[in-house]
Amino acid sequence: MSILQVNKLKKSFEQLEVLKQISFDVEKNDVVAVIGPSGSGKSTMLRSLIHLEEIDGGSITVNGDYLVNEGTYTSPKQIKQITSRMGMVFQHFNLFPHLTVVENLELAPKLVKEGNAHQNRKDSMELLEKVGLSDKANALPGKLSGGQKQRVAIARALMRKPDILLFDEPTSALDPELTGEVLTVIKDLAKEQMTMVIVTHEMEFARDVANKVLFMDNGEIVESGPPVDVLINPKMERTKKFLYRTKL
Amino acid sequence: MTIDYLISILIPMLEGARATIFLFLIAIVVSIPLGFLLTLAVRSNIKPLSWLASSYIYVMRGTPLLLQLLFLVFGLPHIPGIGQYLVIDRFVAACLGFILNYAAYFAEIFRGGLLAIDKGQYEASKVLGLNKFQTLTYIVLPQMFRIALPAVANESVTLVKDTALLYAVAVPELLHFAQTAVNRDFTIIPFLLAGIIYLLITICLTFIFKWLERRLQYD
Repeated sequence: MSILQVNKLKKSFEQLEVLKQISFDVEKNDVVAVIGPSGSGKSTMLRSLIHLEEIDGGSITVNGDYLVNEGTYTSPKQIKQITSRMGMVFQHFNLFPHLTVVENLELAPKLVKEGNAHQNRKDSMELLEKVGLSDKANALPGKLSGGQKQRVAIARALMRKPDILLFDEPTSALDPELTGEVLTVIKDLAKEQMTMVIVTHEMEFARDVANKVLFMDNGEIVESGPPVDVLINPKMERTKKFLYRTKL
Repeated sequence: MTIDYLISILIPMLEGARATIFLFLIAIVVSIPLGFLLTLAVRSNIKPLSWLASSYIYVMRGTPLLLQLLFLVFGLPHIPGIGQYLVIDRFVAACLGFILNYAAYFAEIFRGGLLAIDKGQYEASKVLGLNKFQTLTYIVLPQMFRIALPAVANESVTLVKDTALLYAVAVPELLHFAQTAVNRDFTIIPFLLAGIIYLLITICLTFIFKWLERRLQYD
């Protein structure tokens, strides 16, 4: 069974149809890269998976449980339960600026009463070490570079031990020389078989890390498949045109 | 003019300054939380509550504080029927006036602080599993207070100076004793002294707020 099933997703903002019948599956350990021009609906699609956007029609299933079934959402309690299996990393990090790095990591587990303080501290220090920021545990986010902030944000998302991790353009707000350190962390997660859906403009990264690529344009999935098929030998004219501009 | 004279007028003036400071402390301690509740009421999904809070703020900010004080101290007892039960101690009535008025200003300041918080903060809280109350208390409020702090400091200094309005409702305070001494002794010294005392209070206050701002700095 697929860990995430998306079926005929539809969403409009006023008159504008931003998602038209989006369907795709994510299997366990998949790394799915979602590419496409700005305004193609990539972010809206990703955000609706974790209920930051409400969709107008279609279904989303996580681990076999319906988050939304043919446009009807399940109970708020169930929504919370289902979305808690997912983590999200934002373009603008969205760290809590008034809390230190380690407090950013530990706040959610503390408040939702997962684990105890001792276990949470152990987890947070392990994750900070993993993203190479052990020495910044007590720093405030304002003192970190963009790349460091995003690595903290990834560690924070991992604290809840998600089954699926969603990335919304994780390197788009970074200076070019800082994207590498963030992409390396994501690559390491891929090696550890983390299931991920990544909206990105980094074509090279998509090619190297993803096992499945979705090309979206104008609210539709135009082409999908393994990176070699979609990125190297695209069949559709729109994909070719988009990739030509990005010069992979 | 002698040191003896200075001391002789300083004693009643410091007595008056005590009323000034007392009023300031009561007003600030009560109106800040009240202002915050008003902000929440304005943003509430319950429409009548939101409407009521907005109108309250509009009226309080749109009319002179002096009028509100006169209304509470001298006006209320003239209300037909219930007026006789509304004769309260002048100082208490004045405190009430300051609290009601300043709560409206603080509500506006906090509203600005809330608007300055990025929507990404709410989204991050949501995907991390925080409920609305946790998001408010752990994420929104600490940032809102920090953002609002310089404006709160400014408003507090204004409050110190506004306490002089007690003079108009005949509650003895710093300015009252200064004015009395000027009239009695034909000298300008008590006014200068009063100015110095106000300055000392506002300088202390400014230092406290600057210290708080530094302590709560996060970027």
